[in-house]
Amino acid sequence: MKNTIKIERAINNLTQEELATKVSVSRQTINAMEANKYVPSTVLALKIAKVFNKPLEQIFILEETD
Amino acid sequence: MSNKLLLPNSYKKMGWLLLIPATVLGIILIATQFEGLPLEATTFAIYNDEVIGHKQFFSFIHTNIINTVTGILFIVGGLLVSFSKEKTEDEFIANLRQSSLLWAVFVNYILLLAAFAFIYGTAFFNVMVYNMFTVLIIFIARFNYMLYRNAKLIPNEKYN
Repeated sequence: MKNTIKIERAINNLTQEELATKVSVSRQTINAMEANKYVPSTVLALKIAKVFNKPLEQIFILEETD
Repeated sequence: MSNKLLLPNSYKKMGWLLLIPATVLGIILIATQFEGLPLEATTFAIYNDEVIGHKQFFSFIHTNIINTVTGILFIVGGLLVSFSKEKTEDEFIANLRQSSLLWAVFVNYILLLAAFAFIYGTAFFNVMVYNMFTVLIIFIARFNYMLYRNAKLIPNEKYN
């Protein structure tokens, strides 16, 4: 699964730390997701979509291998 | 994500305060063939059998308790360090914790298998002594390495 967290963060002018605080996770978690090393839980994905005020599918995108 | 089996973060510090002195004591004991630090005391034993002597059940015995004390300090310290929450114990950290635990048990048994196959005689007794503590040691090392690696990967630039 791919995601556009890094791009959305730039659009919304948020640092990893600020986004992490908004969704109550560690900065490592945001970093791991941006590096495609971690697939978030549904709850966390929904929280992130809510922060960016976009539908889930615009931020998290399935890949061929999924 | 909450995990009911984990202790609050403050216990981690207490764990290190027990684990570090216990490690030092353990190294001294190993270096002195478990006889370097006599600490004679009367203690309660559910079962005791001496090399030459009789078996005792539920009795008070007089013996060197330094191994007992060191082992207990090490295990309690190791458990507190292993099973206290990180400052931000979120789902990704929980994921790292779980995979490190799996890794630790696996590596521990691979090492034990190798020891079973290739170590004989009284040296195998030492293998069993170390094996009492290796799961905790390997887990703590692996988990903290994974945390360190993920912290290090974080770039300092605002938007990277």
